[in-house]
Amino acid sequence: MDIFEHPAEHIVEHLGAAAGLSKPAPRARGVGVLGRWWPIRPLRFSALTLALGYVTLSIVVLAVFAAPLWFGWREAIEQGRAELLQEEAIWLTDMFQKHGPEVLAATIDRRVNKEPATGKIVLFANAAHARLAGNLHGWPEGMSDAPGPQQVSIDSNGTQLRVVLMNVPLANGYTLLVGRGASRFRRLELFFIYGLMGAAGVVLLVGVLSGLMIRRAFLAEVQNISLTASAIVEGNLTRRLPVRAGGADELDMLAQTVNRMLDQIEQLIHGVRNVANAIAHDLRTPLTELRSRLEGLSLSRPPAPLAYAEVEAAVADVDRVIGLFNALLRLAEIDTGARRSGFVEVDLATVLGETVEFYQPVAELKGVTLEFNTPGELKVSGDPLLLTQAVGNLIDNALKFARERGTIVVAAVQRADGAVELIVADDGPGISDAEKPKVSERFYRGDASRGTPGVGLGLSLVAAVAKLHRGTLELDDNHPGLRATLLLFSAAP
Amino acid sequence: MKVLLVEDNELVANFVKKGMAEAGHMIDHAPDGRDGMFRAASGSYDAIIMDRMLPGGIDGLGIIGALRQSGGKTPVLILSALSDVDERIRGLKSGADDYLVKPFAFGELLARLDALLRRSQDNQTVTTLSLGDLRMDMLTRKVTRGGRTVNLQPREFKLLEYLLRHAGQVVTRTMLLENVWNFHFDPQTNVIDVHVSKLRQKIDAGAERPLLRTIRNSGYMLSAED
Repeated sequence: MDIFEHPAEHIVEHLGAAAGLSKPAPRARGVGVLGRWWPIRPLRFSALTLALGYVTLSIVVLAVFAAPLWFGWREAIEQGRAELLQEEAIWLTDMFQKHGPEVLAATIDRRVNKEPATGKIVLFANAAHARLAGNLHGWPEGMSDAPGPQQVSIDSNGTQLRVVLMNVPLANGYTLLVGRGASRFRRLELFFIYGLMGAAGVVLLVGVLSGLMIRRAFLAEVQNISLTASAIVEGNLTRRLPVRAGGADELDMLAQTVNRMLDQIEQLIHGVRNVANAIAHDLRTPLTELRSRLEGLSLSRPPAPLAYAEVEAAVADVDRVIGLFNALLRLAEIDTGARRSGFVEVDLATVLGETVEFYQPVAELKGVTLEFNTPGELKVSGDPLLLTQAVGNLIDNALKFARERGTIVVAAVQRADGAVELIVADDGPGISDAEKPKVSERFYRGDASRGTPGVGLGLSLVAAVAKLHRGTLELDDNHPGLRATLLLFSAAP
Repeated sequence: MKVLLVEDNELVANFVKKGMAEAGHMIDHAPDGRDGMFRAASGSYDAIIMDRMLPGGIDGLGIIGALRQSGGKTPVLILSALSDVDERIRGLKSGADDYLVKPFAFGELLARLDALLRRSQDNQTVTTLSLGDLRMDMLTRKVTRGGRTVNLQPREFKLLEYLLRHAGQVVTRTMLLENVWNFHFDPQTNVIDVHVSKLRQKIDAGAERPLLRTIRNSGYMLSAED
């Protein structure tokens, strides 16, 4: 393989480029723009929506919290005022009844003058609503005779004041108005509203700021992913997304998943590259022979019988290439897993028996004893054609390497857990531990197989068939020799 | 024998036409699906060699389907580059009798076509098969050569039966693998050769005239003629 390494890699590069795997058209333009000028742009929609949603929600929560407070407070104020006015009314009525209108008027005037700035409003009027005493100039407009507190507007030195007045009827047509300025709690109300708006402002600010921060943090991560992905697109398959130590947030999970995917892709690409190398090498030999044969024919124009011999040799070269292609196509077909839909119940004992019988004459010719042990029926669910081929390849392989007058043992057993073990063991040179993992790789041909026919796909086909049947192919030492165990889990119910 | 070849590739068509003519068959060539359809429907052929992917609006499987639906019984051999097992199954299910994958050896095509022609001719069950002084009794499963009993294993019996049923025709290794063993893969060692040489030892040993001969580059033939 050594001298062909580089040309084959070129082939892979071309294949890869055709499939869009490496060397994409111009340098991923979007990434540059995204990185330099508008780092926020790609996420504007989602981040801003998120922040606005947060702010709206916060304000709604604030309103829901404040509204009952506001109304409850207002009601408490109204009630407290009504009780205060009521008390005053009772006290003044009492005075009227005990001491008469003159004393009441004098008391009221004294009281109003003594404490003028309390916002207390009193008016003592006669039956014609004319002022007798108090700090109102006259009967306010719009004040009805109905009892109970009422809100009216009064004129005080040129300015309109909202006041709450209670009408208290006395004997002999006299009337008393007691009240308080409605704007007494105005400042408190304003404080409440300012506080509420301030809170909303803080919520808005924090919302927008955290939206921006989330956006920025998110973007940094996404940009990281995006940059790594571009590096991979440009051919550096070893790059991985950074995962923070012990990180378990969503982005770390995403990064881990993407990294696992990248591992798988790298492995596949590696496999493809190896296969391409191997194909290039294995095809090169017969194609080189073919080419020189044909060119030689065309140059030297030998007499007919010689030419025919050359042509026949050329056909044999082509047949080798075709054989290789067929084996590859078969492997590809198995690898897709599509054949699994055609699984039927197969008696492995019969498959083994027939295959052993098929190879028996070859064993006899080599002087090899081909032993076969089975406990009777062994039903598995599988593809009979492929299982036959896998068993055939294992026996074929064993026959190639068995010692002269050696023994090959073919056996099948059902394990306690239902899996079926299918064993083909020879007493040949075996496979060194170093080579074991490689032999089921496509096109790998061990040192011992130099000079024997075959394209090096035999065991990889067995491994592929095992994988298709959700099983494994294990290669162990047989002391001496190789012991291949095909483990099938898809036992028929 | 008159054979229809439906094939759009000119090189392949000429190759097959030339070979068939040399083998003594008359051959008509249809270069596209439409022409193939018309000719196949005329019913005047002993066998049809059919490509699958064809220009002219109708593909090989379509032609076979139409032919079978109208009651045509002409044996059809599909010659196609579609090689998946599923494709083969689809081809045979459409009513074709045999399926050969491109690229192919001409010997293989000829042998399979001869087998098809023979199959359509004598379909009656026979109780004895014979060739020269070789006799096979299907009921007692006894084989004799010039009166001497030949002891055969069951699989050897099946192999000889297949060869006898196709006596005088070339039978390829793949045909033996598929029809005698029902194996559909290519065993990399020449297992078939070993089986045939074992059979040859049993039936031709000591006989002055060997019946089972190897045909170079193709396969085997059982024949009493020289």
